[in-house]
Formats: sequence, structure tokens, C-alpha cells
Amino acid sequence: MRYRTRFAVAASAAMFAGGVGIAAAQEVTGGATTTAKPMSSSLAPVSQAMLDGAATNANAWLHSNGSYDQMRYYPGNQINAGNVGKLRPVYTFQTAVLESMETAPIVINGVMFLTTSFNHVYAIDAATGEEFWHYKHKMGPITTFCCGPNNRGVAIEGGRLFMGTLDAKLVALDAKTGKLLWETQIADPEKGYSETMAPAVVDGKVLIGTNGGEYGVRGFLKAFDANDGKLLWTFYSIPEKGHEGVWAENDATGRNMHRDIAAEKAALAKDASFYQTLGGGVWMTPAVDKKTRTVFFVVGNPSPDLYGAIRPGDNLYTNSMVAVDLDKGTYKWHSQYIAHDVWDLDAVSPVILTQAKDASGKMVDVAIHGGKTGHVYVHERNTGKLIRFSEAMIPQENMWVLPTKQGARMLPGANGGVEWSPMAVNPKLRLAYAANLHQPMTYHVEESPYPGGKLWLGGAFKTIPGEEQWGRLVAVNLDTGKVAWGVKTPQPLIGGVLATAGDIVFNGEANGWFKAFDAKTGKELWKYYAGAGVNAPAVSFMVGGKQYVAVAAGGNNQIDAKRGNSVVVFALP
Amino acid sequence: MTKSILLAAVAAGVLGSPALAQAPPPVPAKAALCGTCHGPDGNSKDPQFPILAGQTWRYIYIELKDFKEGRRKDPVMSPMAADLTRDEMIELGNFYAAQKPTPNGFKADSAKVTAGMKKSDEVLCPMCHLGAFIGQNEIPRVAGQHYAYIVKQLKDFKAKTRTNDAGNMTSVAGTLSDKDIDDLAHYIANLN
Repeated sequence: MRYRTRFAVAASAAMFAGGVGIAAAQEVTGGATTTAKPMSSSLAPVSQAMLDGAATNANAWLHSNGSYDQMRYYPGNQINAGNVGKLRPVYTFQTAVLESMETAPIVINGVMFLTTSFNHVYAIDAATGEEFWHYKHKMGPITTFCCGPNNRGVAIEGGRLFMGTLDAKLVALDAKTGKLLWETQIADPEKGYSETMAPAVVDGKVLIGTNGGEYGVRGFLKAFDANDGKLLWTFYSIPEKGHEGVWAENDATGRNMHRDIAAEKAALAKDASFYQTLGGGVWMTPAVDKKTRTVFFVVGNPSPDLYGAIRPGDNLYTNSMVAVDLDKGTYKWHSQYIAHDVWDLDAVSPVILTQAKDASGKMVDVAIHGGKTGHVYVHERNTGKLIRFSEAMIPQENMWVLPTKQGARMLPGANGGVEWSPMAVNPKLRLAYAANLHQPMTYHVEESPYPGGKLWLGGAFKTIPGEEQWGRLVAVNLDTGKVAWGVKTPQPLIGGVLATAGDIVFNGEANGWFKAFDAKTGKELWKYYAGAGVNAPAVSFMVGGKQYVAVAAGGNNQIDAKRGNSVVVFALP
Repeated sequence: MTKSILLAAVAAGVLGSPALAQAPPPVPAKAALCGTCHGPDGNSKDPQFPILAGQTWRYIYIELKDFKEGRRKDPVMSPMAADLTRDEMIELGNFYAAQKPTPNGFKADSAKVTAGMKKSDEVLCPMCHLGAFIGQNEIPRVAGQHYAYIVKQLKDFKAKTRTNDAGNMTSVAGTLSDKDIDDLAHYIANLN
């Protein structure tokens, strides 16, 4: 999963595992607690046809990543490379929660729905920022999460909103009133399950995975009935049998991973019961191909992160892209990037469905992923076959040196490359845009048996004092894998990217700057200082014929960026 | 970095603290049995039994669960926890967390206290237990705990006869000499 800079030793990390008693710290819990202004009469149910057509609808932003293909490509161009320099803030909406914001708001008919840490949801007027209602989730007594009390947004279908919670529930809210319609327990928070991702909803099914790769969970993607929260299917990201895979010696790029396969085979022969604690969180929103009725997602790291001896084999389907059937949740294919990972360089950034040239130069449907390794991987969408991987977007050194007790230095650090930050694609320019980190770390291993739902790293990641950390926004050509341009930023990038048909790329930084770049060249065109870390992906939409851009500035727990509580919304004067 | 750790720790502590900030919890039925060793209010008089008063509820709950599920073993505690339900464990945790710890009566050696404090900083105890050793989330309060109990736990971690710590304490304890353990126990038992 992911690590903040201050996961300096495993011991220090354990303290973030708690979060118990959060509910009690709030004065009011559950229900829609405030109503400042009557809900807009223009809010109407969101039909499946609208969800299907979201990619070409410039009026709304209906999915956390824009559309089922998750390109984060806004189709309007009222704001464009020629005029973005005049972009000005229209309003700042302040939430009541001063903590890490990773939310991607969704917008329909001029109503915006956004979330905060600790599972608050706000409905506001998307053009003025006035609040319609505020929902606070009634948190259970036990929550277990590693990397901040984050939430990345809601999904919408019909008149309902869907949100996953830190205490591992799925809740459905009435979009008009914020009232709780139903809630269902997804998994046991005591065992390390929690939810921070925005779900996807399609054809009456709410799709949601789980966090917990740092706690020895057994990961999954589940589908729930949007009407009543009933479980429809579960795909376990760790199969009961066959998780040892093919005993791969090399990673997906052909580099040797220095595995002692004979020793692993001997260990597996002794005990193969560990599949129930093998990790494999699915903690970012899946992509959906309605045409082939396929769901695509990436699977996180095995548990424990650094201590591999206890979990012999390839640890399928950890660190893989996986495709499953939308209606039944059955396996279609997988493609693993790192077998038997002991560096926590898991697959996180959400899958994007787009098109790219295959090896013969023919344009084909692809599924792509930006890796913590610093590569963008391009797969054939029907088979999972890896067509190409991009040039490294950040420095790589000493791959794949094994972790030691004293610590072994390797780049990239455990946060990446590309962390959970969603990429964006401009299909016209053939470019994918990725927000990268550079955090030199040493990797330390420590033997440790399953601790029963406590943070279980099996060692430590340490940042290296004195070594500079930075970020890099990189544009990668989908058809060649070449880096088209890169912009170095003073701090590691976490948050995600928005591309628009106005040939602009929007990206936020931990130091509070929110910037627009020329999508072709990477030239900085505009910037705004938001006052707190901009570590969330921007979105765009129109109200009354006017284009707006919205982004949360709430800072970030993981890289300890200055906290705030705002969503800032911009438009041309 | 240390600064950010401590600040974050404090913040997490504030957010994560009281599932019990309201009225004091009633005395759980099972507490009577616990009280024979740990004292009726969790202030045990016999230094081989830990003081539970003021311990975090989450830690008490987690340890009871570990005893019950076999990740932590003790000839007395394992059978005690075997029949506890989840709700009973949470209830006990809340009860002892709400009790006020009283001084343990330990006479610390000042030279050992100083040496223990130095060692504590060197091996980064405060990163998890906080500077005052008051604990947070799943990390226990150990300030003012009995000397004998602290020594036994550190030795058990070192010998890996206690391994329900996800590798953190076994890793640190592996670097400690008997003298270090003695010094640390003097320092920590002497904290209020």
C-alpha cells in the first residue's frame, strides 16, 4: 500500500493504525446534520445512460475519474491553453474537517457532492459553494487504517450516492437530502479492512474493493445491489489455490528479482494456508468496459510487506492488473508486474481504458496502469498481454536488491513512482499524464508472524536523511512509451491529474500550488496558491453554460502536506 | 522528521482517544475476577501483574483478543481470556481505561533512570509510546508500570517468547542488553 515519509521504522508506523473512537470525538453522528439551503430543484436522478455517456458530457462530472474508462479527460474546451492564464477562483467551500483531502467531487445539474476524511459528505451548489446538506457517518468503535482517515469520493446512480467508510461499510445516501438509505458491512475492520476508495456503480451494482494490505487481509472486489446493499458477488484477489503462480524469476520488465525459488517451494510444501492473510488490497476505483462487460482493477501488495519468507510463491494476484466479469465476478485474466513483492511497490493507480498502438502499429483497445515502479504499463484489453512499458519516469537504482535487517537502498522508494494518484489521458495528443514521487528509501526486513489485525509490515521503510525528495509530472506517449515531457516539482506528487479538451493538464502540489500546464509541452500556464496541500485530483464541469474547475486543498496525511479543509472552484472571469 | 512524527502522533491521539469521554463506564461483571490480580480498580499491588488503570482501551482489548486467539500466551491469562466475548473484552478495556493509575511505589535508581532515558531516545521508544510513555491507539501506556513487569516483557520480546507485536518490539528488544533493560525499566517505572 502506501507510506508516509514518517513510516521511518515499522514501530513508528504502528501508531497510525488506530483511529479508534473517532465517532465519539464528533458532537453529532449519523444522518444529515445541517441544511443551509434547500436542495436545488434541478437535481435529477442519474440514469445509466448518463453514466455510460459521461465521457462526452461536458456539463457534469459523474464518476470520480470522469467516466467508466477513467481517462479523466474533460471533453469541454471553454477553458483552454489560450485563456487558462485568466482563470480565477469563484469560491472556496470550507468543510468542518481539517484533515487530508483526497476527494474527487462529482457534479450533476449544478450540484456537487464531495467527501472529507472520516467520511463526511457535503452537497453544495456547484456554482456558488452554498451548502445543501452535510452527512457525517456514524463510525463504529473500531477502525484500522494505515495511511490517514481518507476518502476519495462517492459514486452516484439514480437518486443515490454510495460511499465506502473507514469502518469497512458501504453506505447509500439519498442525494437530495443526505439521509442514510441503507448500510452494509463489507468486511471486519478489526482484521484490518477499511474503505477509502470511491466505489463505481454500474447497472445496479456497486463495485468496491478494500484496503488492508498492511494488515494481513485477504483482498477482494465485491459487487453490492444498489437497491438494498445485498452482496451480489465477491472476487478474491488472493485465490485459495494457485496463488504460487508460475514462480516468475523476472518482473514484467524483465529484471531479475533475486528470488530463492527452491527455498520458497520448500516453504510452500510445509504450509500453504496463508492465503487468508496474504493481503492484496484493491483500493482504487475499478474501470468498466460495458461492451465486453468486464471490470478492470489493480491489486495491491502482499502481506506482510517486506517479509516474504512467510508467504512463498508469486502471491497472485498481488501487484497485478486483473480483469473479471462484470455480471458474475469471475476471473478473466491477470498480468503481474512484480511476483513475490518485498518492496511494497504495489499496483495502485487506477486502471485507464483507452486505445494505443500494438507492437505491429495497429490501434487496439488497451488497459493501462501507472506503476509505483515509475513505468506506465500498456496491456491488450482483451487478453492482458503487456504491449509495452514506458521509459522510467523517475530514477531507478539497485532494482531488485532484497531488503536486509540493516536496510538496503533501492529506488524508487515504497511510495513510487506513481502512488494512488489517478493518471489522465489526452487521447488526441496520445499522452498519459502521471504524478510521480521520488523518495529515496532503505528497505528493512524483520521476521514477524501474523499479528492478528495489527499493522504488519515485516520490517520497515526508512527515508534517507539528506537525500532530496521531489516530484515529477510526466507525459508519456501511449504508442511509444517515450516520455514526451516532465516537470520536476519541489515535493513528491500525490493527488492525481486532470486533462481537458482545452489541451490543459491540471495538477496540484503538496506546497499548496495548483497549476495548469500546456498538455503538449508541459509549459506552466497558470497557478493558484490554495493555502494547503493540493493532494486530490481536480474535476471539471459546467453550470449554466460556464466551465468550472474544482479541486480539494486539504493536504495529505501520507506525505504530511499542510492540512486544510477546502474545495476551491475556478472559472474564467 | 521527528517533529512531524510527534505532531502527527499527538493529533492522532486527540482524534483517536476517547471512545469513553462521556460518563464513566459501569464495573463489568468480569472485572471482579481480573481484580484479584490486577486490583479492583486496575492498580495491581503485586509487581508481576501489570497495572491496567489508565491503559488505553484498544490495547487492553487487543491483548485480551491475542490471549484468546493464542498469539500471546500466559498460563494465567490465556485461560482467563478464552471465554471472554468481544463485547466483554471491549467493556473491560473501557472500564480500566477510565480508572486512574496510582503510583506504583517503585524506588528508582537515579543513575539508571538517566541511562534509561538516554537509551529510550536512542532506540526511539517515544516514536510509538510517545515521550511520556502514555501510549496511543494500539500502542500501550507503560509510564508508571511495575518495574518487574516491564523487565519481563522486554526479556520476553528479546527471547521471542512474546511475539504478538508485529515485529516492532522483538526487533527493538533484540538490540537491548540486560543492563539496557534494567535501565529502561527504572526510567519507565519511574514516570507518572
